Amino acid sequence: MEPFDAWHIPLSGLPAELSTIPAALPPFDDATTTGPELRVARLSPGDLRRVSGALQEAGETLRGRPIDQVIAAIDAVARRFLDRDDALRAQALAWLPRTTGLSPAMAELVLDRTASDWLAPLLRALIQAELRDPRVLERFVRHRPGQYVRAFGPRLAFHVLAGNVPGVGVTSLVRSLLVRAPALCKTAREEPVMPVLFARALHTADPELGSALAVTWWPGGDLDLEDAALANADLVVHYGGREAVTSLAARIPRHVRLVEHGPRISFGIVAREKVGDPRLPAQIARATATFDQQGCVSPHLVYVEHPSHDVVRDFARRIAEALAQIGSELSRGRLSFEEASLIRAVRAAAEFRQIGGAETALFGDPSLAYTVIYDARPDFVASCLNRTLWCRPISSIHDVADLVRPFAPLLQSVAVAASRANTKRLAEALGQAGASRVTCFESLPWPAPTWHHDGRGPLRELLRWVDLERS
Amino acid sequence: MLDAAGQALRAQLMELFRSSGAQLGDEEFDALALRIFRFQFERNVPYAAFCERRGLTPDAVAHWSEIPAVPTAAFREVELIAGARANVEMVFRTSGTSAPGETRGSHYILDLSLYHFSLIPAFAAHVLPDGAELPLLSLIPSDRELPDSSLAHMVAVVLQRLGAADSGYFATAERGIDDAALGAALARACEAQRPVCLLGTSFSFVHWTDRLRERGERYLLPQGSRLMDTGGYKGRSREVPAGDMLAAYQDLLGIGADYCVNEYGMTELCSQYYDATLRAQSATAADGATRPRPRRKVALPWLRTRVVDPETLEAVPDGTRGLLQHLDLANLGSVIAVQTEDVGMLNDDGLELFGRAGTAVPRGCSIAMDDLLAAVQRPRA
Repeated sequence: MEPFDAWHIPLSGLPAELSTIPAALPPFDDATTTGPELRVARLSPGDLRRVSGALQEAGETLRGRPIDQVIAAIDAVARRFLDRDDALRAQALAWLPRTTGLSPAMAELVLDRTASDWLAPLLRALIQAELRDPRVLERFVRHRPGQYVRAFGPRLAFHVLAGNVPGVGVTSLVRSLLVRAPALCKTAREEPVMPVLFARALHTADPELGSALAVTWWPGGDLDLEDAALANADLVVHYGGREAVTSLAARIPRHVRLVEHGPRISFGIVAREKVGDPRLPAQIARATATFDQQGCVSPHLVYVEHPSHDVVRDFARRIAEALAQIGSELSRGRLSFEEASLIRAVRAAAEFRQIGGAETALFGDPSLAYTVIYDARPDFVASCLNRTLWCRPISSIHDVADLVRPFAPLLQSVAVAASRANTKRLAEALGQAGASRVTCFESLPWPAPTWHHDGRGPLRELLRWVDLERS
Repeated sequence: MLDAAGQALRAQLMELFRSSGAQLGDEEFDALALRIFRFQFERNVPYAAFCERRGLTPDAVAHWSEIPAVPTAAFREVELIAGARANVEMVFRTSGTSAPGETRGSHYILDLSLYHFSLIPAFAAHVLPDGAELPLLSLIPSDRELPDSSLAHMVAVVLQRLGAADSGYFATAERGIDDAALGAALARACEAQRPVCLLGTSFSFVHWTDRLRERGERYLLPQGSRLMDTGGYKGRSREVPAGDMLAAYQDLLGIGADYCVNEYGMTELCSQYYDATLRAQSATAADGATRPRPRRKVALPWLRTRVVDPETLEAVPDGTRGLLQHLDLANLGSVIAVQTEDVGMLNDDGLELFGRAGTAVPRGCSIAMDDLLAAVQRPRA
C-alpha cells in the first residue's frame, strides 16, 4: 500500500526530504509494526521560515479576496468530502480508520457531520453571528454614531492540531481562512489526513487560497522547528493536552497571542421528569459512542435524578443495552494497550466494589466494546473513555452545579434532559459554575458551527479590533 | 497464619522452594495450582464471587491457565485473603500518589515465612548465583521506616539472610541516599578489594549517579561487585534508557552490564522476576562459553506468566506483546492468579518487560482522570 503523503506545502522545492513512519501509533514502543505508513516532510527550521514567509505573502492576496469567494472555495471542498462519488471522500474514508483507529462507520459519520459544517450557508451564518457585517474585515464599518470599527486577522496563524476528533482541525483552518489569515498547521501524529486533504483540495479549487495554507507534521518537542514556526506567526491556535500547551506557551514571544483549546470534560443530567423517557438511553449511548468518546464534547458521566437507586441502576443498564446495539452499527475503534488496560482497571475496581458490597454495578461486554458503571457516589469523575460512562444518582439536579464547580476551567458541555423551566434554571447555574454550553443529548457531540467554542467567539477570538472615532 | 488445609499446601510449597523448584514439571505445577485455586476459592470470598460471575469455579477449571486472574486494581477495593483477616501476619501496600480519593492496594500475607522462602532462593539464584557472600548495600530505606513496603521488606530479608558483614542501609525515607556514607563504604570496598552488592530502585540509581557525575566521583569496585535495581525508568519525571544506566554503572562504579540485575516484582506477588544476565553468565563462565543473549527476565519455577491480549485477555503467541498475567504459587494466602497492567513479551529464553500500560495519555483535547485531579489540586492563582 502506498503511504499517505502527510503534508501540503505550497512552495516549490519543498519538502526536499521525506521520511516514512507507521500510520497508526504503534502499540507500546513496538517499532516492528507493519501496516499503513505516512510519508512525512522533513523540514529544517530554515525551510519552515521560508514556508512562513511564503504564507505571509499569500496572506496579502488572501486579504484582498471577497469573502464570498473564500466561502465558495471552502464550500466546494466540503461538497467533495460529502460527494459519494468523489475520490477525495474515498481517500479520507480509506485513511481515517488507519490513522485515528476509528472504525470505518464512525469515520464516515464524523466526516459527514463535520464537512457539513463547512458548507456555504453555515459559513455565512457563522460570519453573521460573529461579525454582523463581514465587510468589517475589509474596511472600517460604522459601529455607532461617531465610531467606526475594522477588524484585522493575524498575518500568520500557527495552528497546532490534536488528533482526537478528525475534522476539528479543518474547522480551525476554516475559521482562519474566514478571517483571511494564512495558516501554518502542525497536525497531530495520528490525524494528518483531514487537514492535508482539505488543504490540497482547496489548492485545487482555488490555488490562491490553497497557497495560504501549509500543513505538515514533525515530532513534538522539536524546539528548533517550533521556534521557527513561532518566529513569523502573530497568533497561535493550540489544540491539545496540558503539557503540550504549557511547553509551547512558555516559548511564545510576548507579541504573539495564544488561543488555547485545551482538555475539557462534558457530562449529562437527567431530571426526574425525564427518567422515563424511552428515547433517552439510546440518545445518551449515541453521544457516548460518537468519536469513541474522544471529543471534548463527549459525556463522561450522567447524573440521574431519582430517589430510587434501583431506578437509576436500571437506567444505567438501559444505556448499556443501547450501547451494545449501537456497537453493531457504529463499532468501536482500535484500543491501545494503555486504553484497554485502563478500561480493565476501571471495570475491576467497579466489580470488586460491588463484590465488596458497595452500591455499584458494572454493565459491559467481555470485549470492552462498551462499559457503563452505575455508582451511587455523587462525586464528579472523569471516564477512561472509549465508551465508558459513569451513571450516578443525584437527589436533586440543582445540586450538580456545586459538584462540578471545582472543575470550572475544565468544563465544556452539559447535556440536560429536563423540563423547560428546570433546563433554564440549570443552564444559569451551570454557566455560572464554568460550563460553556448546555444542550440536549442528541446535539451534545455536534455543536453548531456558531457555538462559542470553549466560551469564546470562534472568529472574534482570532481578531484584533481597531476603532476609528470621528467627532 | 494459614488454616490446616493451608498448612498442608504450605508444606508442599516449602519442599518445592527448598529444591528451588528444579523438579517442577508442567503437570506438577498444574496440579498444585489447581489445588491452591480450590483452596483459595473456598476461603477468599471476594475472589470466589469474581470467579462465580465468570462461571470459572474449581469444578469448571481444568488447567492452571484458566484460573481467573484478579486485576491488580482489585487489591485496592477488597481484602483478598484465603483465610480470616485476623490471621494476617503482614499487609503490604502499593505506593500511592496521595491524590484525593486514591486508595492504595493492599496485599494481605497470611504466612510471612512462606514469602521469605520464595524470595530468598530466587534472589540467591539470580543475584548471587556464584555463591558470593557480599556486603549488601541498600539504597532503599529500611523496613522499619517503610513497614508496609514489600520492597523494603524484601531488602530487609535478603540483608539479614544473605548479606555479609557490613551490609546495611544507606538511605532514609526522609533524606534519601546518604551520599557520604555510601561513598565511604564504596571507598572501603575498593581499598580492601572486597566486592559489594548495591540494591536500589532504578530511580534512586538515576539520581545518585547524576550526583556522582556532578561531583566527578567514580569508583572502580572490585571484580565480582554487582548491583540489583528494580522498577523501570518510564513514566517518571525523567526517562532514562536502560542502556544509558548500564553505561553509567560501568563508568561510575566499574560494574559491568553482566553484573547488573534488574528485578521485576510487585506488591501483589510474593515471587519476583530477575534478569537472567548474571545467572547465565555465571553458568557459562566456567567453560568460557559465549556471553548471554539480550536481557530476559526469569523466575524460579513456582512463578509462571502468560502474556494476554489487553482487549480479549486471550493468550498471545510467544514473541508478541501483551499484558502480563502471573500465576505465583507463593501467593498461597491471597490469590495466585494476578492480571497486571505491565506490558511484556515471552520469548523462549524468558520474559521481556516494556513497562506499564496503566498510564494512558488521552488523545488531544479529551481529558484524563489525572487532569481532573490536577485541577482540584492546583493552587488557585
